[in-house]
Amino acid sequence: MSAAPTDPGLATRFGSGHAVRRVEDPALVQGRGQFADDVSLPGQTWLAFVRSDRAHARIVAIDTAAAAALPGVLKVFTGAELRAAGVQPIALPAASGFKRADGQPANAPPKQPLAVDVVRFVGEPVVAVVAESRAAARAAASAVWVDYEDLPAVTGLDAALAPGAPEVWPGAPGNVLAEARFGDAAATEAAFVRAAHRVSVEIDNQRLAPSPMEPRSVVAYVEGDRLTMRLSSQMPTGVRTSLAAALPGRTADNVRVLVGDVGGGFGMKTGIYPEDVVVGWAALATGRPVKWQAERLEEFTSGVHGRDAVSRAELALDANGRVLALRVRTWANVGACPAPVSLVIPLVIGPWVVTSIYDVPRISLHLSCVLTHQMATGAYRGAGRPENVYLIERLMDAAAREMQLDPAELRRRNMIRPEQMPYTNAMAQVYDSGRFEQILDRGLVLADWAGFEARRAESHARGRLRGRGIATFLEWTGGNALEENVRVDVTAEGFIEISSATMAMGQGIATSYVQLAHDVFGVPLERIRVLQGDTDRANGFGSAGSRSLFTGGGAVHVASVRTIDEATKLAGAALEASAVDIEYRAGRFGVVGTDVGIGLFELAARQPGERIVVSGTAKAGGPSWPNGCHVCEVEIDADTGAVEVVAYASVNDIGRVISPAIVRGQVEGGAVQGIGQALSERVTYDAGSGQLLSASFMDYALPRVDGFRAFKTEFDESVPCLTNVLGAKGVGELGTIGATPAVVNAVIDALAAAGLGREAERVQMPLTAEAVWRALKREFPSVLPRDAA
Amino acid sequence: MPTLSFKLNGQPVSAEVENPTLLVDLLRTQLGLTGTHIGCDTAQCGCCTVMIDGLAVKSCSQLAMQAAGRDVTTIEGLAGEGGRLHPVQEAFVACHGLQCGYCTPGMVMSAVALLAHNARPSEAEIVDALEGNLCRCTGYVNIVAAVQQAAATMAAGSAKASHPAEAAR
Repeated sequence: MSAAPTDPGLATRFGSGHAVRRVEDPALVQGRGQFADDVSLPGQTWLAFVRSDRAHARIVAIDTAAAAALPGVLKVFTGAELRAAGVQPIALPAASGFKRADGQPANAPPKQPLAVDVVRFVGEPVVAVVAESRAAARAAASAVWVDYEDLPAVTGLDAALAPGAPEVWPGAPGNVLAEARFGDAAATEAAFVRAAHRVSVEIDNQRLAPSPMEPRSVVAYVEGDRLTMRLSSQMPTGVRTSLAAALPGRTADNVRVLVGDVGGGFGMKTGIYPEDVVVGWAALATGRPVKWQAERLEEFTSGVHGRDAVSRAELALDANGRVLALRVRTWANVGACPAPVSLVIPLVIGPWVVTSIYDVPRISLHLSCVLTHQMATGAYRGAGRPENVYLIERLMDAAAREMQLDPAELRRRNMIRPEQMPYTNAMAQVYDSGRFEQILDRGLVLADWAGFEARRAESHARGRLRGRGIATFLEWTGGNALEENVRVDVTAEGFIEISSATMAMGQGIATSYVQLAHDVFGVPLERIRVLQGDTDRANGFGSAGSRSLFTGGGAVHVASVRTIDEATKLAGAALEASAVDIEYRAGRFGVVGTDVGIGLFELAARQPGERIVVSGTAKAGGPSWPNGCHVCEVEIDADTGAVEVVAYASVNDIGRVISPAIVRGQVEGGAVQGIGQALSERVTYDAGSGQLLSASFMDYALPRVDGFRAFKTEFDESVPCLTNVLGAKGVGELGTIGATPAVVNAVIDALAAAGLGREAERVQMPLTAEAVWRALKREFPSVLPRDAA
Repeated sequence: MPTLSFKLNGQPVSAEVENPTLLVDLLRTQLGLTGTHIGCDTAQCGCCTVMIDGLAVKSCSQLAMQAAGRDVTTIEGLAGEGGRLHPVQEAFVACHGLQCGYCTPGMVMSAVALLAHNARPSEAEIVDALEGNLCRCTGYVNIVAAVQQAAATMAAGSAKASHPAEAAR
C-alpha cells in the first residue's frame, strides 16, 4: 500500500459511493469481536435474577436465607433493600409531559430496579443473587422463596379496557395512561359525510420481540471512585445519565459506560434497563466485578417489545379517488411499566408519518396508551412509523379495491408532487424533498407490474393463489437529535482516529465513517480508525432512528475538512511557507510549485502531544425523509393456507448513497424483519394468566434461511436530502417499514381474488398458514377492544 | 473434578470440568475462546456452533465431557498461517454476509462443516445446512451467497492443488 496515499484515483475507488470491505469484518468473522459477554475480569462474580412468575401479585414475603447459605453466594438483594439504600426507580412517564384524557399528567408505575411490594408482569426482576460462578448464582436464584398473593391481572387491550377491569395503577383510571388527539375532528367528519367513497379497516399491529441475536450483557466494576459499566447499548451516554440518576452517589463524572461490539440492537438497546442498575449496584456493594448475561428467556420476558397497537382507520375519498380525510382511532398496549419512549412512539413519532407521501388535507387522530400486565413496549426498528405506514397503505388498497382502481394508480393520484416541496403534512412535519411518483414509476418497472396477470394465471395453473401488494411510503429519521460532534486525532503513529458517540451495532457505521473521512484525507482506509462506545471519549445521543450516518457522518465530513484546514496552517509553519501556498493531497502537504512538503502524520509528530486534534460539529436542518416503492408477490397454498413470498422488488430513495453494499444489506435484511411481522412473528401472552407463551425461539418464529431471499433492490440517488451536509437520508428502518404492508397487501390481494373480495381485509398479522386457512373459510379474529369508545 | 482431554483447534488440551458443564461454557469461560457465542437457551439459534470430528454441533447441547477424545474446531481455529482467512470467512467478508457479526461464527462453522462433506452444494442444500442458524440482521441473502462463493473458491483451489503439475512439486 506504500504507493496508495499518493494515488489520485484512490478516493474514487474506496471513498463514498463505492462498495468496500467493511472495516468491522476481519475481527468478527474470526470470532475476535468484543461483545459484552466476551469480557471477563479477574475476581469476577456472576449475577442472576429471580423474576416474577405472576402477571400481577403482591409480594407478601421474600425468604433469601436458603439462597444466601449456598456455597459461593456473596449477596442477595431485594427491591426493598435497594430502595432503602437509595437506589431510585428509572424513567417515570409522569416526567414525559403526556396527559390523560382528563387533563391530568400521565402517570404509571415506577420502573423499579427490583420489584417493590407488587409485581406487574411475568419476568419482572424481583431478587438479585451475586455468586462466585454463574452456576452458583443460578442455583441460588432458584433457592429464593417469594410468597405472592395473586391479584387480578389484565392481559391485552380487551381485558384492560373492559368496564370494571382491574386497574394496573391508580394514576391511570380505566387503565388509560395517556391520550392524544390531532387534527380537526369536525372538518374530518364533514369530509366523510360528503365523500363519494369511504373505507374502513380494523388492524391489530401485533406485539413483536426485537430479538437481536446478542442477549443483553453487563459487566460492572469499580476502580477507585469510578463505576465502569461494560454493556451492549445503542446509547452509552443515555445509559450513563440514567445510571447516575438511579444510583446513589453516582454522577456523570464517576460513571463510565463502555460498549464494544453490539450484536444487533434494532431499538431494543436504546435505553437503560432495571437490570443495568442492579448490576451496577451489585458491583458497588460487593467491590467485585459483576457480570450478568441475559438468557434468551429473559430477553423475551423483559427486553422491550415493539408495536402492539390496535386501530380502526378510515379514509374518505372523492369520486376521482382523491383523499379528502383520514380518521384513526388507536389503542396502544404499552405494558405495565412504560418508559417515556413507550408513549412517544404511539403518540408522537408514529402520527408524524400517518399521511405518509400522500397529500391528505385533513386528519382526525384519537390515540390512547393503555396499561396492561405485560412487558413494556419501546423502540423496535421503525418505532411508530411501521404501524402508521401500515395503516395508510392498508387503507389505500382498501380504497382501490372499493373503487376498482389499480392500487398504484390510486396512490399516484394522491402523491405529494415535487413542486409542493418543502411540504408540510397534516401533523406539521416538513418534508424537504421527495419525488414519489418517480420512485413509483421505477418500482413498477422493476417489479414488472404490468406482467402480473400472466404470472397470476401461471400460479393458478399450478394450483396456487397469487397476489401482489404495493407499499409506497416515506419515513421520518433522525431521532429528533440532529446535531452530532466528532473529534479527529491525527497521530504520529500514522492513524486518523475518529471519536463519535454514535454506536456501531451491525449497520457498518464505522466503515461508512471511514469512507467519508477517506474522501477528505485520501489516505488508505486502514489508516483511519473509528472509536466509539466510551463515555470518557465521546458523548451524545447515540444510534437510533436511522440518524447516525446523516448526523454523525456529516460531523465526520465537517471535522475532517476542519482538520485539513487546521493542519494546513501547521504545515505552513513547518514548511516556512504561507498557508495559502500549501496544497494538501492524499496524506501530504506540499508548497505549490515546489517539491517541498511534509506528510500529514509527520506533521502530527511535530505537534505538542504528537497529535493534531480537531473537533467538528454538524447540525442537520431537519429530519431526513427516506422513501420507497416496495412491491411484493406471494403464492398461497389454498389447502394449507401457507404463504410464500415469491417476488420482492423495491426502489428506494435514501438520497446520496455512501456505502452501496451496506445500504442494500440494510434494506433487504430490514425487509426480512418486516416479512417476519407480516407472516410469522407474534409475542403472545396467555389471556387468563398473563404468562408469556412465546418465550423461546421455538415459539417465537423469526424468519429463517428458508425464507425469501431473491430481492430486487435499487436506489434512486437523484433526490438528495436538502437539510444535511451529506445529502443522505437514513436507511436503517426503511426496509422493515415497507415490507410489512407490501406483503400483507399481497396476501389480501390473493384472498380477495380468490372470492373473498373486501372481506379479505379482515385477516390479521401474522399471516400464518392457520390465519390464512381460516380466512379462506371466512373466519376472522375480532381486533377492536369490545368496550372501548 | 474430572479431567477432560481433547483436541481443540489442532492442539491437545486438558481441562478440569464440573460434570454438568456445557461445552460452550468450557470454551468461553474456562478456555477463553469467546468467538463461540451464546444466543439462546433452547439450542435454537446456532450462535454456538462448532465442529466436532468434522460435524457441525451446537456446543450448548453437548456436555463438555462428551468432547473427550474428540477433535473440536471453533471459529478461532479456522484461519490459516499468518491469519489468512479461511475461504468461508473470506467469502462472508466479500459478500457482506454479516452485519452485527454475532451469529457469524456459528454460521461460518455450519458452512465449513457443510463444505467439508459436500464441496459443491446446491442452494437448497446450503439452506438445509443453515436451517439451525438464526440471523436477525442480514435476512440470510448474503449469507447463502457467501457460502456459494466459498464453495466455488474452494473447488477452484482444490482443482488447482490436484493438478498434476501442482501435485508433482
